[in-house]
This record gives sequence, structure tokens and C-alpha cells, in this order.
Amino acid sequence: MPELRFDDPDGTLAMLRDSVAALAGRHPGAASLRARRGEARDTDRALWTAMAEAGWTGLLLPETIGGSGLGVREQAILSEALGRALLCEPVAGSAVFLSCVLAGAPAGDERDRLAAGFVDGSRIIAPAWRGGKVTARETADGFLLSGAHGHVDQAASATDFAVLADTGNGPAMFSVPADSDGVTVDLQRSVDGAMIGTVRLDNCAVAASGMIVTPDGCEAVLDRAIAATRLALAAELAGIASQAVQDTIDYTKTRIQFGKPIASFQAIQHRLVDMWSDAEFAVAAVSNAVEEAEAGEGRRTALAVLAAKARAGDAAVSICRRAVHLHGAMGFTDECDIGLYLKRAISLNAMLGQPEELRLAFVKLERAA
Amino acid sequence: MATDWNAVTDEDFRQAFAGLVEDCCPADLRFMRKQRPTFDEVAVFYHGLAERGWLAPTWPVEHGGMGLSPAKHMIYVEEWGRLGCPRIPDHGIGLVGPLLIEHGTQAQKAHFLPRILSGEHVWCQGYSEPNAGSDLASLCTAAVRDGDTFVVNGQKIWTTLAHCANWIFMLVRTSRDEAVRQKGITVLLVDMTTPGVGVRPIANLRGETDFCEVFFDDVRVPVDNVVGAIDQGWTVAKSVLGHERIFLGAPTRPEIAFERLEKLARARGAFDDPAFLSRHARLRLDLYDLGSAFERYARIVREGGELGADVSMLKIFTTELYQRITEETLALAGEDARLFDDIAIGNDHVDAMNLFLDARAPAIFGGSNEIQRNILAKAVLRLPG
Repeated sequence: MPELRFDDPDGTLAMLRDSVAALAGRHPGAASLRARRGEARDTDRALWTAMAEAGWTGLLLPETIGGSGLGVREQAILSEALGRALLCEPVAGSAVFLSCVLAGAPAGDERDRLAAGFVDGSRIIAPAWRGGKVTARETADGFLLSGAHGHVDQAASATDFAVLADTGNGPAMFSVPADSDGVTVDLQRSVDGAMIGTVRLDNCAVAASGMIVTPDGCEAVLDRAIAATRLALAAELAGIASQAVQDTIDYTKTRIQFGKPIASFQAIQHRLVDMWSDAEFAVAAVSNAVEEAEAGEGRRTALAVLAAKARAGDAAVSICRRAVHLHGAMGFTDECDIGLYLKRAISLNAMLGQPEELRLAFVKLERAA
Repeated sequence: MATDWNAVTDEDFRQAFAGLVEDCCPADLRFMRKQRPTFDEVAVFYHGLAERGWLAPTWPVEHGGMGLSPAKHMIYVEEWGRLGCPRIPDHGIGLVGPLLIEHGTQAQKAHFLPRILSGEHVWCQGYSEPNAGSDLASLCTAAVRDGDTFVVNGQKIWTTLAHCANWIFMLVRTSRDEAVRQKGITVLLVDMTTPGVGVRPIANLRGETDFCEVFFDDVRVPVDNVVGAIDQGWTVAKSVLGHERIFLGAPTRPEIAFERLEKLARARGAFDDPAFLSRHARLRLDLYDLGSAFERYARIVREGGELGADVSMLKIFTTELYQRITEETLALAGEDARLFDDIAIGNDHVDAMNLFLDARAPAIFGGSNEIQRNILAKAVLRLPG
């Protein structure tokens, strides 16, 4: 089956895969997702803590501020494995994004406080930086933040928010404790079963030290964080795609109609082959983006990441759609896991640019040369 | 002492190849419109390659080849395409040579290999028959033993360039096993000047005659012309396709077509049309991602690994992408899509119809895409029969 393949001289990658399998054994993805959904929660706290303890949330965070200091290759292997196992906590959208923000932030007590709590799982820091607008007005001893951002994972459980706000001199990133006056959270159900939030700030006072990324350099930090998040999303989507193909092959091999497994019918076989091929292309695109990122040339990396997220998103959603169909009426039931894969794929595919938007950005960037 | 080309750097190898093409491939043979020129049309390039020892990249040095490793061979093929070299009638170099080197007798090797290099023998491949296409094992052109000769009767079809070949290597039926149809097939080398051999070229949709029907009417062939064991031809024929299978999945054709699409799009102002931009971006990314997928397999070849059956996915993708790009080009052409001739753009032109028609073929040849899917279903996904 499709799978990322990289040289693994010291066995780190194999270890990461094993550790995801072990955690999935203790916290099966589908069961966790159903429980979280059933109780209208925004996160599975035990699972998230276990992920932090395993070192996954701080995987990309430099060792100097308490992280594991690993690279894009390790992150891609981890995210792919999480996708396969349907472990749905926001590793890409929160952990990867924050690791890049904190890594790019100037040294400071507030940065270190966030990093420490984030790495050991004692704090849940939710990035609130898109899907709205927040402005920061400078006061004598800090800032007043007003506005709202949407698409915030773990919004109700968060101890802190990392809020992007416009200072008038450009965007900056602020650390806002969740219990600050003037902070409210509205929750909505997401398709993959977690509650997602809109964070509203109404003249919320933040100390001057709460500006963890200053306007000087914020856009560059954001660009890097977005690229790393997209790559992790792409890897997770590729993992979902591969697992959905595998599950559908297994199902159609056991489902007997007309006295034969339906996987023996050519109409079914050709669909399965196309699904498999789409998953292989998704994995190849992610693999290419990892290698470009490691090679380090900025524009080539940017192109490869856009391509990978577009390809993996398209592949995961369309494979899961076809997978639901090939599971027949069973695929339309909530008790069959394949539908959960479809919903998770739709959710991740929608994050940070749907395929069409990413493709247009790719061509624009390429033609700008 | 011949150069050990595997020992030179990739960059030096590319330069040596480029210099050689400069020397022996005239400008009018570069970037030819014709997919399959005849031997005479490209003879000067063929002989030029032979004289410089570059004609048979993968043959061992002792047989007059370059003995290239798969990694260097990949570069050879890449540069060939990049420099716009024409396809030469290459059945002798690409198929008959490796077949004989692996399965031929000493006498066969000594007789045939030098004649391939000299161009004295121009080969074609007789596999498909009117009722044996995708289902090749059902072939029934018969070779009946009569002392030291086989008497061949039957018909081959879709035989590429048979009208300019003088030898054909073919699969014939020498016995029949109803349980296993692949048994009882034999590889036979046949001199096409033998009485009873007839060739009829077939015009294709592009108006060219790349392929032919070949008829055999009591054609007498020495038993010595069997390659490998009698009745074991299926296995013999299958064994010669190694890393070359990757080339069926190369992105070359869609890349050429995409360049034409963009040329026409610029001329027609299509980049101002958001609907076109959307379709264009999808095709561009398909091409880019095909490159990423191809690279994964190219790496296996370069590192000396064995390709699995899964490489077929590249063939499906690249041939279907080639079709989609040429379809988009034709759609963009407006009423000029009526033209069989190229579309003029100032002093330049775009062969929209030529490529659209050309793109129909690769999804069929080399194992139709449906057959490729059957193979993948069985060999890779292990689906039940």
C-alpha cells in the first residue's frame, strides 16, 4: 500500500510509526472520535496529553526551547501515521503551526512559558489567526485586542490563545490567556466530530510582553508556519487516503454477492486500482515536498508544498467518497468507520486552502518567475 | 580501449551525448513531427550513432554496446528526448538484441547482433493478431514443423514499421495446451524477404502509416531461427522487459503537449479567462505531480533496484494526462479545431489536431490501460480473480 519511504539510518522513522500504532492501540482513533463527538467536546484531553508526552506536539520545536528538534521528514511520517490511524487531534493545525511560530519568535519569557506548557501538555494553546480580523491598539502598558477569528481547534479547552492581530504597523502574534477579560468562545460542530470555535475579543487587555511575534518578521514567520502546516496536513491526508483504500480492498474482498467477493468484479477492481493510484500520487507529492523542503530552496519548496496539499486533499476526499460508495449501504451508516475517514478528509482538505485555490497559487507563483 | 561510460560523471556523460547529437543528428531530424520515421528517413543518425558506438546503450560491451547501467541509461533516454532526437526503428536494438543476448545461441548472436548495429537488418515485432490483442495468449499464427524448417501460416497486425523492416521477430503457435494458453508459443526470427510474406501498411488517424498487417502464407523458416526453447516463447519474450518499462510512464509526451497548450493559450488570451486558468492549473499540477511520482520510480532504477508491477500506474496516468491536455488544446482552438493542419500563430504554429490524434494511441499500445488496471488489480492489490 502507498506509504512514504525515506532513508531511516537511525530508525527514528520506524520508531515514530511504531509509537503511533501503540498509541492507537490504547486510544483507537474512531472510538476517540465518536466519544468526543457524543459529548460535544473540542478535544480528547487524554489523547492530546498522551501525544504531548510522546513528544509529538513539540516534534518540530527546537530543542533549545524544549522541543524534539526533528525535521519535516519526521513530521511527515508522524502525520501520515496519524491520518491512517484516524487520530484526529489538531497536530497539524495547532502543534505544527505553533512550533513554527514559537521557533520564529524572538527569545522571551512569554515565548518560553508557552513553549514549556505546550510541550509537556500542561497547557493547550489554540492558534486563532484566520477566518476573521482582530486589531491591536497600543496602550500605555500593552495592547487592547478586539475582533474575532474562526476555525479555532480546541477553543473551549484552551488555556491560551495565540492570536494574530493587526497593529496598524503590520500583523503581530499575541499570547492571550483564555481566562482574560473580554474573551468569549462560540462553538460549532465540525464535520469530523470535534467542536470548533470562534474566539471573540472585546477590548481584551494584553501586556506588552504578550506580543510574542512583532510586526517585524511576522509575515515571514507566518509563511513558514503555513507551509509547514500545509505539509503536515498533506501527509495526514495521504495517510487517510491510503488507509481508506486498504479498508475498501479488505471490505470488497469479504463482501460476497452473486456467490463471489465483489472485489473479483472488474468494474470494482478498476475503481480500486484508480483509488490506489491516486493515493500513490498523493504520497509521491508529499514525498517530493519533504525533499524540496529539506533541500531548502524557498521557491521550489513553496511550489512543492502547494502541490502536495492540493494533491493529497483531492486524493483523500475523492478516494473516501468512492470508498463510501464501494461499502454500499454499510458505508452510509455511522457505525462503519469509512464515513469517519471521509469526514476527516473533508475537514483537513478544507484547511489552509482547498485544492483549486492551491493550484491557482502554484501557477501564479511559478509564472511570477 | 573503449570508454567506460558508467565511470564518467553524469554531467560529462550528458555533454558527451550532446556533442554526439550535434555531430550526427542533422537539424531537420530534430523535434520531428513524425512519431515513427522510417529507417531511411533517419538512417544518417542511426549510422552515426553506430559508428561512434552509441547505438546500443544497454548491450554489453563485448557485443558492441555501451554496457550502460540503468542509471546511465536513464540519462541517455532523457537527453535523447530533451535534444529532440527522432525515434529510430529500435526493435532490433531494444528488443531483439536483449532477447538474443539473454536467450540466443552463440551462432545467433554472432550472426544477428552485428547486422542490427550495421543497419543491414531492420527489425519489426510480430506479436498482435486480429484476434489476439489484449488477449495476446490467444494468438494462433501457426508454425508447423517439417524437418529442419517451420512452415508458418497466419497473420500479424499493428506491426509497427513492418513496411520498412526486413526481419520480423514473432510469436507463433507451435503447440496447444487448452489449460494454459501461454504454453506452446515460440519466438521465431523470420526473414521478411522469404516467399509467402506479405505486408500491407495501415493508415492511422493521423494520416500516417506507422503500422501494418503482415501475412504469412506457407513461409518456410529454419528451425535454427527459434530463440530459446520451442513452446517456451511466452516466458522468453516476457523476460526482456526490465527497467525499460519505466519509459512507458515517462512524462515526455504530456510535457510536449502542455507546452503547445500554453503557446495556444497565450495567443488566444486564454490566461485572462478564470475558467481556463482553473483547468490549466489542474493540468499543470497533474504534470508536476507526475514528475514527482516518476522520480520515485526513477530512483529505484538508478539505485539498481527491480521495478514492481506497480510501475504501470505511471503509464496509465501519463497517457490519460496526454489525452486530457490535447483535448483542452483542441477546445481552446475554437473553430480552428476543424483544421487537420497545424494552427498558425504569427510565424509559429501549434499542431493541436496532430497531438490530439496522437494521444489516442498510447492509452492502447504497450498493454491498454484497461489491461494495466487488470494487472495492477491482480499483482499489486491482490484482488481475487
